Amino acid sequence: MNIWKISLKNMRSKPLYTFLSLLILALSIVLLLGIRQLETSFKYQMQNNLGEIDLVIGAKGSPLQLVLASVLHMDNPTGNILYEDAKKIGKSSFIKTAVPISYGDNYSGYKIVGTTANFATLYNAKLEKGRIIKKPMEVILGATVAEQLQLKIGDTFLSSHGLVENDINVHAEHLTIVGIYQPTNKTIDRLIVTSLESIWDIHHHEEEDEKSESHLEPYENHEKGKEITSLLVSFRSPSAFLTLPKRINENSNMQAALPKYELEKLYQYTSVGLKTISWIAYIILVISCITIFVSLYKMVKEYAFDLALLRTYGASNFQLIRMIGYEGLAVGVLAYLLGFLVLKIGLYFMFNIIETDYQYSILQKLPLQECLQIGLLVVAMIILSILFAIYPIIKMNISTTLSNEK
Amino acid sequence: MIQTDNLTFQYKKSEHIFSFPNIALKERENLLILGKSGIGKTTLLHLLAGLLKPASGKIVIEEIDIHSISRSKLDKFRGRNIGLVFQKKHAIQSLSVVENLQARLFLSGKSINNTVIDFLLKQLDISACKNSKINTLSEGQLQRLGIAMAVIHNPQVILADEPTSSLDDENCNVVIELLIKQAKLTNANLIVITHDHRIKSLFSNSITL
Repeated sequence: MNIWKISLKNMRSKPLYTFLSLLILALSIVLLLGIRQLETSFKYQMQNNLGEIDLVIGAKGSPLQLVLASVLHMDNPTGNILYEDAKKIGKSSFIKTAVPISYGDNYSGYKIVGTTANFATLYNAKLEKGRIIKKPMEVILGATVAEQLQLKIGDTFLSSHGLVENDINVHAEHLTIVGIYQPTNKTIDRLIVTSLESIWDIHHHEEEDEKSESHLEPYENHEKGKEITSLLVSFRSPSAFLTLPKRINENSNMQAALPKYELEKLYQYTSVGLKTISWIAYIILVISCITIFVSLYKMVKEYAFDLALLRTYGASNFQLIRMIGYEGLAVGVLAYLLGFLVLKIGLYFMFNIIETDYQYSILQKLPLQECLQIGLLVVAMIILSILFAIYPIIKMNISTTLSNEK
Repeated sequence: MIQTDNLTFQYKKSEHIFSFPNIALKERENLLILGKSGIGKTTLLHLLAGLLKPASGKIVIEEIDIHSISRSKLDKFRGRNIGLVFQKKHAIQSLSVVENLQARLFLSGKSINNTVIDFLLKQLDISACKNSKINTLSEGQLQRLGIAMAVIHNPQVILADEPTSSLDDENCNVVIELLIKQAKLTNANLIVITHDHRIKSLFSNSITL
């Protein structure tokens, strides 16, 4: 028998109060940790996937959509632009590198991106196996694609039209895997990379087939030209931020979107919700600590005679305070562990759904520092509750308490 | 051994000063203190237990002036050397009978000896409810547990506050005889404070306040 055991027995003797305190505190911890984890994951994904991309040039439309589609590959593109026009812009003295991308097909839900060799350098992706693309219809797989689809070098597959897996619009051309990238934890992991020519060839043949089968009128001139979805640009100097996007947006039929700005704007929009949930979580934390305080204070008041009795048994004031303190801290620690566990399970299922929808795992590990910050906050709040609750013990007059109980 | 000398006490916000007769008990001696309600019986018991500080005078138990030592030392001294029996039988509600006795030993700084606990419970005829929760005990069992809690740590002094006031004649004698027996077994001084004159015959030594 010791003070710790007495505290535990006390907790077990009032299961409803203990459970309620535990539940409310765990809820606030789940929310606080969850918000931090979402913020961390979101920021990490933004920064990690931008790589060296300073500007995205694509068809007019929503700039955010253009960025989401071209950088994070999480949305449909705004349309196509002429490769010739894009190439002209790419020659600007402000631009260090300009990487064209073209897509519109998928294999088993993973997007097939037609691009140049420079694309991999934007993400610092290196080949793990195989070689670079030398001719059309050759592809290199991102690490996640290779792992998830169990594909290896030399395998061939048929792509489907559109960005969603389907068995209806399947192209006739076989794509051959010639390489697999090392994992980068970036967007490229879940892409199938090929040359621009592969995309153009596949769609050119398809257009010809459609024309011969349906006897449609010849397409307009611009559709005959080579098109790309967007151009990923990295600047030579920061001054380009001020001039180039404005010039493109005002003087061409294309739009230029700054991914950092667009994603920051998106974060600002979404963070309003996150901040609101954070405040709710803090309020719940305060309420849960009040519940713990009420539970401890109630115990101190209701069991005043018991506590006075313990003093007559030789317990010091400090031992009684420890008894109350252990109870509060035990609830805190259990709630933290429960909250952490519920959060992990909850996020696992939540992100499994997101991953299935976008072929994209965005969940990042919550940094230890964040966990400790929340843990310390909870401990501080509980200590505050304990300090308020033990006040009657400090002021307790054993003689009066024992006499009054008679 | 317990000895008091010119003991007085005054409650805050009260002008009345309680003045108590001197007590001098040698080893194994018992004392019955009788008095009407409001005369200061419980005050005296709390002074002897070190729960109240006297206005003047001193209390010496086992050659230690208990009010001259620090509060923390007094807590320890009380836990080790004094056993208290209350009119309302009380124990820690969240613990079982045996756990209450273990807690009593732990808090008094004595090692927990389950053989001693079992022996005492057998002597007091409450072995059967050893693992029972406090709220399941009968009044009689609670009374016996109260006595066990007061003597389990072999105190030098057992102080009992109105232990028989709510008991019938038969149980009144049983409780006092148990207390006297336990005091004798542990070589302790027994001081019973009561207004109950039925137990006067069981004590050879008594004073009236």
